[in-house]
Amino acid sequence: MLEIKDLHAGFEETEILKGISLSINKGETHAIMGPNGSGKSTLAKILSGHPAYEVFSGEVVFEGKNLLELSAEDRSLAGVFMGFQYPVEIPGVNNAEFLRMAYNARLVNEGKDEVDPLDFDDILQEKMNLLGMENKYKERNCNDGFSGGEKKKNEILQMAILKPALSVLDETDSGLDIDALRVVANGVNKLNNEDNALILITHYQRLLDYIKPDFVHVLSHGKIIKSGGKELAHELEAQGYDWLTTTN
Amino acid sequence: MSSTIAESSNGAESVVLDLHKKFIETSQSGPDILALNRKALDQFAKLKFPHRKHEMYTFVNTKDITGAPFSLKTKSSSPQEFVKQHVYAGCEHSHLTLVNGILCSELSDATALGTAVMVGSLTDAVKDEPIKTALQESIEQENDVFASINSAFMTQGIMIRVGKDKQIEAPLQILNISTGGESGPVMTVPRIYVHLEPLSELKIIVKYVGEEGNYFVNSVQDMVVEENASLTHIQVQADSTDAWHFSKNRVHLKRDSCYRGYQATNGARLVRHHNEAWLSEPGAGLELSGVSVLVDDEQSHQFIRVHHEVEHCTSQQRFKNIINHRARASFDGTVVVNKGAQLTNSDQLINNLMLSDEGHADCKPNLMIFADDVKCAHGATVGQLDEGQLFYLRTRGLSEAVAKEILTQSFASSIIQEIPFAPVIEELNQTLLKKLKAN
Ligand SMILES: Nc1ncnc2c1ncn2[C@@H]1O[C@H](COP(=O)(O)OP(=O)(O)OP(=O)(O)O)[C@@H](O)[C@H]1O
Ligand SMILES: [Mg+2]
Repeated sequence: MLEIKDLHAGFEETEILKGISLSINKGETHAIMGPNGSGKSTLAKILSGHPAYEVFSGEVVFEGKNLLELSAEDRSLAGVFMGFQYPVEIPGVNNAEFLRMAYNARLVNEGKDEVDPLDFDDILQEKMNLLGMENKYKERNCNDGFSGGEKKKNEILQMAILKPALSVLDETDSGLDIDALRVVANGVNKLNNEDNALILITHYQRLLDYIKPDFVHVLSHGKIIKSGGKELAHELEAQGYDWLTTTN
Repeated sequence: MSSTIAESSNGAESVVLDLHKKFIETSQSGPDILALNRKALDQFAKLKFPHRKHEMYTFVNTKDITGAPFSLKTKSSSPQEFVKQHVYAGCEHSHLTLVNGILCSELSDATALGTAVMVGSLTDAVKDEPIKTALQESIEQENDVFASINSAFMTQGIMIRVGKDKQIEAPLQILNISTGGESGPVMTVPRIYVHLEPLSELKIIVKYVGEEGNYFVNSVQDMVVEENASLTHIQVQADSTDAWHFSKNRVHLKRDSCYRGYQATNGARLVRHHNEAWLSEPGAGLELSGVSVLVDDEQSHQFIRVHHEVEHCTSQQRFKNIINHRARASFDGTVVVNKGAQLTNSDQLINNLMLSDEGHADCKPNLMIFADDVKCAHGATVGQLDEGQLFYLRTRGLSEAVAKEILTQSFASSIIQEIPFAPVIEELNQTLLKKLKAN
């Protein structure tokens, strides 16, 4: 589904990703861990088409398409979803309306008819129930004044609405309280199936207890220095990153 | 019926003086109003047209108006259909229509207002000695030359008076129609006098529209809000794009009274709002907000003076401008807190959203504080759409154009949504926001 080959990227003159290769198949969940500043969010933003970042060399192929050639919106329409580490606040834009516009943009792209607000409300309500979200997420403006955890929940709500083929969740767990983490993780699990794939960027083992990864990768200084199964996360939790960075 | 009084040439002020001579000869407003007209002309002659560096017109170039050979127009009818189209839902039986500044009773219907509201002319108003004195004083102390022109040429205008302890349910619409000039620019001088007696309440929506371009609507509103009374005043400027629109609001607030003003500017060749308010007794509160959406070469300017004359008053100003193409906006607002006006609470916030590189915004928020125990804040921003927000929307599959539209609309809607009259909100969502779509 996603093939990243020797990706070098960063912004302006600075190289942050220094040759990343990663192959992700349908139905797989990959966890990316690594020290602060190692380039995890940079990788996520580059995958989602952030205009501030530059790709120096390498390629990213998503379902046969050169992802790097697509605009941010076209990547989304193609099925890539980015759950931000720091979702931005959009005051003045009602969250439910925003979600409906995004949902409709997808329908239109697929050559289908848009749904009206009433029909969309049913769709939205179902997803909100799935994620244990209260009505305020509909009524309030998008992320406006949301707490850190509320913003993360709202990201997952968007993922649930848009049903992407590939989701990149950047530290969705940080900021969530223990109960919310369980609910959100269960929600993500329910959305997971053989046809989609998930990249989880996280610092904590706890998330991986709920959403079991097939692979764990360690990113350090812009390179994947180790890949393994879910047991790698346990080792990291126990020993930190030092044993990897010093032995490599 | 249409008749035009010809103008003369040479010397910006002499155009007005000559026009006034002819006006006086034909005016039928009666001796009281004529006396006020003459007084105002004297004031005009003293004030003169603003030169480039005039402190009230720092950001406004008036040379097109001061040089133009305006004529007056006495045509006072407009097609019924046109009026209907501009009367808001809920105001079918509570609207007054002014055509070229003259009340047109066939096009008005105030039956829903009942007897609690007295609707009359300025001639009726000046029969009341205190009103006459107040008008005289304001004319003698006029500081804005264009408002003095309004006073010099005003005729019957409209007087609205709400009786003591009467809360008027029906929103009152005043529809100002300018019919435009067949042969050169026309000036109209709508004049409204509003007086709310103690404990009364009224909501007025003043809408300005034009049948065709090439006119100068130069309006003045005097508003007196007595003890515990509350006035809501919504102004919708929707003139033709070729028009000039000047409007001066004078607001006098008494003890525990409240004024809420909302100004929506659709843009025109040159729009200038002048708001002046006096909070002259404790407990008075003023809220003033405005939004303008400007494209092409349109201009909109705000000039505001709020006088906190005594203690315990509050004033709040919120203005937003969206500026595209080569449009210009300015804000020049001063809050004056007099000595002794302790515990004043005042704030002022102006946000400009620039959608082009050629647009222009000037901001001059200002505080003059002569008391020590006050809470005053002011701020101004000039900025573009937020890149982070744009990117976020795009990652959800919304095109860049749609994302820009959403963010631009949301910038304006925080002001629009606060307007306490749903039909205006709906209208602005159509008109103002449609202007943004086209780009
Ligand atoms: N816009 C930017 N301007 C300057 N430096 C940046 C920018 N974005 C990222 N960087 C730098 O690139 C490096 C990688 O940052 P990135 O956000 O990808 O780290 P991360 O692995 O997600 O870290 P964390 O675990 O703290 O979220 C850091 O050194 C960071 O300071
Ligand atoms: Mg990060």
